[in-house]
Amino acid sequence: MLRFEATKLILRLAGDRPIVANLGPSSDELWHAGHRDRNFYTYGSMGLCSSLALGMALSTDQQVISLDGDGSLLMNMGTIATIGREQPKNLIVVVWDNEEWAQTGHQSSHTAHGTDLAQVAQSCGIGHTATVTDMEELETEFRIALDREGPCFIVAKIQEAEYMEVAPIEPEVTLHRFRNTFQS
Amino acid sequence: MTWAQDLVRCLKGADVSLIAYVPDISISQATQLMEDDPYFRVVPATREEEAIGIAAGSYAVGRNAAVFMQSSGFGNCVNAIASLCIPCRIPVPLFINLRGQLDEFNIAQVAMGRATRPILDVLGLPYYTLDTVDRLDQQVSGALKLCFASRQPLALCLTPLLHGGKIA
Repeated sequence: MLRFEATKLILRLAGDRPIVANLGPSSDELWHAGHRDRNFYTYGSMGLCSSLALGMALSTDQQVISLDGDGSLLMNMGTIATIGREQPKNLIVVVWDNEEWAQTGHQSSHTAHGTDLAQVAQSCGIGHTATVTDMEELETEFRIALDREGPCFIVAKIQEAEYMEVAPIEPEVTLHRFRNTFQS
Repeated sequence: MTWAQDLVRCLKGADVSLIAYVPDISISQATQLMEDDPYFRVVPATREEEAIGIAAGSYAVGRNAAVFMQSSGFGNCVNAIASLCIPCRIPVPLFINLRGQLDEFNIAQVAMGRATRPILDVLGLPYYTLDTVDRLDQQVSGALKLCFASRQPLALCLTPLLHGGKIA
């Protein structure tokens, strides 16, 4: 499964829901899949994608989608425990799991050596978890997540592809655009 | 009114209603008041950089948030502030209990306690040191107003002169 194709699927099913994307290719591909004001692209702060989404989910009634990565989430696994503790009904975490730190030279990550992030999530009390390996499974599981109370946690096994052009977005503008959509 | 009650009142005055924190005994007087107050959503984090992420996410959807931590934890979250809050212009007030100050008993707390304000300086972030209850309202309310108006993080550094310090 290619992350770009999977991102387009998520974007199509997400409707108007806010989406937070992990730094690097996850953010770039979200921009190329379809730039919209409710995309929150990240640029640094590796590991904080799902923490950001958690903070959003605790402060809005709307469903929030996090597009995280295995390397990043491994850096901040504690946030899985905090999601389990807080039990936000409106949070869906999708982990793009390529089992490597791709951008830094394709070093294999811990998920290639036994770490199962879906099991971690389950152990932290996240009620609905799944691991998917193709587009059909992803669509099925993501639709289930959209329709039920969360938190939901989906690990999507993906293959790396050629990187796309870096999204021409300024962090300050991202925040401004995104936040404005929540002003009444 | 205690310093903690004053501080909580200032947070309400600035519409700060989500608090992400990593526990600290000296600032627990304030965090406990907020835990007991339904106005606040208090979120204990596993690590300080996570707390920054949660607070930033809250602000991104329109709810002001603050982070409470100890100076050792400030060391854990420097990059979260530098690569998320500063470039995105996300105003997160940081309430930092400064260790390594008067009556410190633990050598391991001294270096990071001393380094906290210089690090804030090189990040270009303002900080205000809270060491007396007398001007607390003025300092905290003023700092919160500045934080949200400038859309940059800033720090309020709490010292043992304010809260009595940690008893070994």
